[in-house]
Amino acid sequence: MTPAISAAGLTRRYRGQLALDHVSLDIEPGSITGLLGRNGAGKTTFMRIVAGHEFASAGRVTVLGASPVENETVLRQMVFVREDQSYPDLRVRQVVQAASWFYPNWSHDLADALLGEFNLPLNRKVKKLSRGMRSAVGNVIGLAARAEVTLFDEPYAGLDPVSRQLFYDRLLAEYAEHPRTVLLSTHLIDEAAGLFERVVVIDRGRIVLNTAADDLRGAATSVSGPAIAVAEFTAGRPVWDRRRIASQESAVVAGTLDETDRARAAALHLHLEPLTLQQVVVQVAGAPAASPQERTSA
Amino acid sequence: MKTWLSVARYQLTDRNVFVIQPWVVLALDFLIILVIVAQYPGRHGQAVYVGALAGIYVVLIVTGALSIARQLPFALALGVSRRSFYAGTALLALAVAAVYGLELTVLQLIERGTGGWGLNLHFFRVPYLLAGPWYLSWLTSFVGLALMLAWGMWFGIVYRRWNLAGLLSFIAVQVLAVVAVLLIIGGAHAWHGVSRFFTTLTIGGLTGLLALLTVALLAGGYATVRRLTV
Repeated sequence: MTPAISAAGLTRRYRGQLALDHVSLDIEPGSITGLLGRNGAGKTTFMRIVAGHEFASAGRVTVLGASPVENETVLRQMVFVREDQSYPDLRVRQVVQAASWFYPNWSHDLADALLGEFNLPLNRKVKKLSRGMRSAVGNVIGLAARAEVTLFDEPYAGLDPVSRQLFYDRLLAEYAEHPRTVLLSTHLIDEAAGLFERVVVIDRGRIVLNTAADDLRGAATSVSGPAIAVAEFTAGRPVWDRRRIASQESAVVAGTLDETDRARAAALHLHLEPLTLQQVVVQVAGAPAASPQERTSA
Repeated sequence: MKTWLSVARYQLTDRNVFVIQPWVVLALDFLIILVIVAQYPGRHGQAVYVGALAGIYVVLIVTGALSIARQLPFALALGVSRRSFYAGTALLALAVAAVYGLELTVLQLIERGTGGWGLNLHFFRVPYLLAGPWYLSWLTSFVGLALMLAWGMWFGIVYRRWNLAGLLSFIAVQVLAVVAVLLIIGGAHAWHGVSRFFTTLTIGGLTGLLALLTVALLAGGYATVRRLTV
């Protein structure tokens, strides 16, 4: 099957800075992928190149099998909701209406329903909206476009928890009814974790993790208890992180634990806790650049 | 083509830029002149010439610049290619220039019919430029207005691509180009020939030259928009 989004050796250099460094990545059609990473890791640059807003310095990217650059056929099937979108001097109603002219599968019913649910003031200028409300306008467009490739860059910056929940629910319902390829970047990882089928972590312009979300649950475990017991348990295992307070120690062990391991931990009076997706990402993307070999063991 | 029309429609959604601003400025411009000329009419009913019609031309440079600078980023987010965005906007600019040129021509006819608004005022009639038959006035207005819009669009693109520093450099380059042309003419002692060329140039010929310049500006804008990033 042709990947919905495919990048090979994708590199973007800015003056003295490498925003993307040989990124190779295939995203299958009909999936929701989380694009995670720290600020400045390269998430937005990657999405901008996929959307044809920015040009690659080297490498190539294809969307639905063709280059997106100035390619009307591809662009018609793609929507890009940006956190930093600048809007023209128009009212909410006009902005949503204008968006409907460009998408063949646009759903007016869905747009109207979402505008109501997000409590958006239809006659207010988009420029006058709060940050959260502006995000909501983007989300309405991103969902109602029903575009085959849907890119969300930080879609809920400034959104209140009720609106965020609304967005998750609507996204999942829409995705079930009208499957599409969704690539979503966010910092609220645990909150959105339930959405993702795949997780891609990008750090300093490189992909450091690309795996099924299910494989990540339980991919690492926090082991805590008396330092001696922790040392005994973790001997010979890849350890991502170690913290010690007095005689107590807590270590993050990579890899899944089987029944024998658990029994042994219980015998040593150790407390086991699987890392959440967010904690895994912090471990993977937050590690200092000096220890890359440890991170690759993920 | 369908996308081009959608882009034109999108451009017109904000009526301020293409419709309200130019005509409000022209109306105010005209009213101010009318009030002044009513207070201080020409001696012995002589014709009063003002160059205030230039106001709408200047505003259309701003219109062209805003049509790109304000509208482009969101259009690209909606999956419009740079090419389609530019083509749709240029198409709208030509249509707007044709309609506004016609409106200026109608106003010119009214001005003629009312003896210069009863004051022998020449606001919409400009010696040499807009003084011939109505269809020639229309053609010249159309080309002149289109030229301003195309010029403004190029400014808007340069601003979007290279920000304020780029815009200032772009203006500086144009000023330097004009100075260079003047120096070259002077250096080649060609002023006599140049002035003869312009005195023998008919308004139809001048309109043709302006049309060529418009095409050149549109081509320059297109070349600049192709590698624009947002």
